[in-house]
Amino acid sequence: MASARSPSALLGTFRAASHRPATAWRQRCSYHSQEYTQPPPFPPAESAILTSALSHVPSYGFTADALRLGARDAGYMDVSTNLLPRGVFDLINYHLVTQRLALKSTVQFPSTGDQGKKLGTGAKVRTLTLARLRANEPLIHRWQEALAIMAQPSYASTSLAELARLADEIWYLAGDESVDSSWYTKRASLSAIYSATEVFMTQDKSKNFIETEQFLDSRLGDVMKMGGFIGALSEWADYTAHSAVNVLRSKGMRV
Amino acid sequence: MPPRIPCRAHRAACATPAVRCRIRLQRRSASTAASAPEIYDVVCVGGGPAGLSLLAGLKASPVTNGLKVALIDGQDLQKNRLQKDATLDSFSNRCSSLTPASMRNLQEIGVWRHANASRIQPYQEMQVWDGVSDARISFDWDTARSFGPRKPTQPTTIAYMIENVNTVSALLGRLEELGGVDMFASTKVDAIELGTDTEQLDLSSWPVLSLSNGKSLAARLLVGADGANSPVRTFAGIPSRGFDYSRHGVVATLKLSNSGWGGPDHKIAYQRFLPSGPIAMLPMPGNFATLVWSTTPERAAKLKSLSPADFSAMVNAGFRLSLTDLEYLHTLPSGQAEEIAWREKHTPVDERALPVRVTDVQSGSVASFPLRMRHADTYTGERVALVGDAAHTVHPLAGQGLNQGQGDAAALVRTISHAVQTGQDIGSTLALESYNAARYAENNAMMGVCDKLHRLYSVESGPIVGLRSLGLRAVDAMGPLKGFFMNRAAGGV
Repeated sequence: MASARSPSALLGTFRAASHRPATAWRQRCSYHSQEYTQPPPFPPAESAILTSALSHVPSYGFTADALRLGARDAGYMDVSTNLLPRGVFDLINYHLVTQRLALKSTVQFPSTGDQGKKLGTGAKVRTLTLARLRANEPLIHRWQEALAIMAQPSYASTSLAELARLADEIWYLAGDESVDSSWYTKRASLSAIYSATEVFMTQDKSKNFIETEQFLDSRLGDVMKMGGFIGALSEWADYTAHSAVNVLRSKGMRV
Repeated sequence: MPPRIPCRAHRAACATPAVRCRIRLQRRSASTAASAPEIYDVVCVGGGPAGLSLLAGLKASPVTNGLKVALIDGQDLQKNRLQKDATLDSFSNRCSSLTPASMRNLQEIGVWRHANASRIQPYQEMQVWDGVSDARISFDWDTARSFGPRKPTQPTTIAYMIENVNTVSALLGRLEELGGVDMFASTKVDAIELGTDTEQLDLSSWPVLSLSNGKSLAARLLVGADGANSPVRTFAGIPSRGFDYSRHGVVATLKLSNSGWGGPDHKIAYQRFLPSGPIAMLPMPGNFATLVWSTTPERAAKLKSLSPADFSAMVNAGFRLSLTDLEYLHTLPSGQAEEIAWREKHTPVDERALPVRVTDVQSGSVASFPLRMRHADTYTGERVALVGDAAHTVHPLAGQGLNQGQGDAAALVRTISHAVQTGQDIGSTLALESYNAARYAENNAMMGVCDKLHRLYSVESGPIVGLRSLGLRAVDAMGPLKGFFMNRAAGGV
């Protein structure tokens, strides 16, 4: 793109995208379909600036400097960063959204696993979660800054929503098709595990993040145990409730 | 006026009732298809103790012995009978504890005298203790007396140990004596469906059974005594709920070093609750006992693979050694006997409080089966009633499965005879209602108690162990309360 582009033209590009580009973009299509290619989540100019800005994060951190350098690299003026209304948070958000959407193409499951056995949903969730964590690797020494910014009150709700979308994406890609109350508990527990592991990873000094991997495995193990316990409890509660009704019925009550 | 030909046929066939039926039916179905079903009042699917007890009850009562009944069983019933020349030095591994209430019922319908009495072992005392805390309760009618001195009429027997094959033989013996039951043994039920509405008969609400021998029977009342995976229950569309315990029951016939601490006249049953499940040793005549050890499927497989010497040692250890020792012993591939002999030297026990030592296990008697709990939503439907395991499957820790089936059979006999006396259709839901009302809550309570005991004693540590031990000791100390529990377990009220 030409660096001599007039500011008004640039403004136009951004205006079109409005304040919440991703949502505006999506609203055009009122349904979601796996077959239908989704439009890119960010407008081209914003995408260009933020992509180049991310490459400066390892040295400059999640700062306005990184954004400015990113804009320069993409051929825009320094001042154009003012048009990202949430500043550095937009940079973080861009990273979160693009990495979430990238999962679909970066992780491909073979139809059969190593021992010729089909990969279970649990193993798929683990692989996807690890892949998403690994995507933070280049920025991991700066990720605490990002976490601090995400935790700011004005951004917390957006960050949480993005976390929920990530958990949903992982379960969806893992092939989970539950339509009962476990839909909620699965996503809630994965969100908790992911955020805990993410924090752990920022302090992990082990080679190839092997300790993070172990940490994730033990958290997932906890959930399995808990899930088994809750499953048994609800099975028992279901039986007890039914038998109470059956006893009343056997005594001639109309229930 | 009936036409003359059937009349003659009737008279001619008097000696053989089966022929009579066929002739009558042929006349009835002359204009329809040749395969019109034969009509029965009661068709019982399954020749187990519950089903046979029901038929014996129906045939023994003067009110209901006119009913036309049939029994269908996939196995050859004669094969399952006790050998006439059976000696007292080998016993079947499938034994049950019959409560005095079940025993009384079998006496009333005239079955008990057909049983081989020398192979039945009454027991007068039961010792139960906690494998974690060693808190103990002893059940015998002397310490369980209510206020005042013991009445001589009070029973001394807690229950009767009897081989299932002996119960079945006694029931079959009584049925042969009574006669009048059409037996279809070694016959499978191919299909059960509702009948059709023809000019002569409307069988559209009647279950019609197609048998593997080509016959088809229409049942005014179809009784499902066909076990846990009951096809009759499936036909009636009655859901059955419950859970698998992921435990297996290991059974075996054991040979003991003597006839027990109380001698042959005062037999004692023992049960120790381990976190993996209870281990119970129940007395059989002479120096024999039967074992029921509920444990995890892996441990059950391990136990089954052991040599007789190691298996006997493991049973002794199961009643004596600590949980840690037992856990280690299950990991050894073999040689448990020596390991246990060494470990027992370092485990002080009061031998008089424990069952006498097992010296051998009857070869081929070690077997296991999965433990589960299932309860049908209801026992009755339109022209359908369920009895025994078809209606409920229970954890064997209190030895109540067979007794519940006997109770069901007795209650269903009462319901049917009431319906006959008042001129009701015995298959109608209205007539059957009282059967469900009489049995459902009672069985549900008993199953609930067994389930909760299983769960309570699966806990290995923590405050629950202290509380359950306190509760057990408290009940042990309170005679009347203990008497109440014993009465309930004996099937009384």
